[in-house]
Amino acid sequence: MNVIAFQRKPLQGAWSETELATLADTINLGHRGREWETGITENGDAQLYLLGPQPEQACELCVSRVDGQYILEDGTGRLLFEHRSLPLVAAHARTALRGTRWWLVARIVMVWCTIRHMLHDEIEPLMTEGEELLVHFAPQLAAFV
Amino acid sequence: MKRGENQEDFAGVQRGKALPEARQLRKQAGDWLKARRAEAGLSQVDLAAKLGLKYYTFISQVENGFSRVPTETMEAWAIQLGLEPAAFAKHLLVYYEPELHRLLFGAPK
Repeated sequence: MNVIAFQRKPLQGAWSETELATLADTINLGHRGREWETGITENGDAQLYLLGPQPEQACELCVSRVDGQYILEDGTGRLLFEHRSLPLVAAHARTALRGTRWWLVARIVMVWCTIRHMLHDEIEPLMTEGEELLVHFAPQLAAFV
Repeated sequence: MKRGENQEDFAGVQRGKALPEARQLRKQAGDWLKARRAEAGLSQVDLAAKLGLKYYTFISQVENGFSRVPTETMEAWAIQLGLEPAAFAKHLLVYYEPELHRLLFGAPK
């Protein structure tokens, strides 16, 4: 018996509601006011742009669909991932978006370390002074008791 | 799910309310690039191939006004569009860095 494999006709044109829902659920579109737009290429292939903060609102990530293949690029055109599975591409987009926030985490950690260091510098002399006073006066106070 | 507001088809892009100036300027740059590409008789796919890109989607990203032509590839873009690289970069500066362009070259005519 011969089995003929029929290939599913690749989607074309604008994003379907299912595709948009997949992207929205995985990437958390619209979360914390992050804006996004959809567009179409000259050949009629769908694109979704995830935009950075105001006022620049430059494209941080772009998901495109070309001949049934989903393509993930950053705002400089660097190809990050490509696959026929949209959920997989969306998962990579989510990871890439998390990656772009590492600089913020690094800055917070740096500020926290600086504050701790400053507090330590301020408090340590006071603590040492108090300790010295205690060591000095404790035997005398003990003698009175 | 929050979708781009006031879905309106505009040069291949569904977009919303009044855009911030930076985005408007990037869109103008994209329109200018699209016109230059048409003059060169190239499709987005052709230009991408000439620039050594695997997919043509970045060309669309730039022409739709969401990204800039990267500085490191400006010369290649200019050559493929049949333009003089310095003039090409200077013209894009009008859109991408208008204040810098004004300081360097005065107000655009």
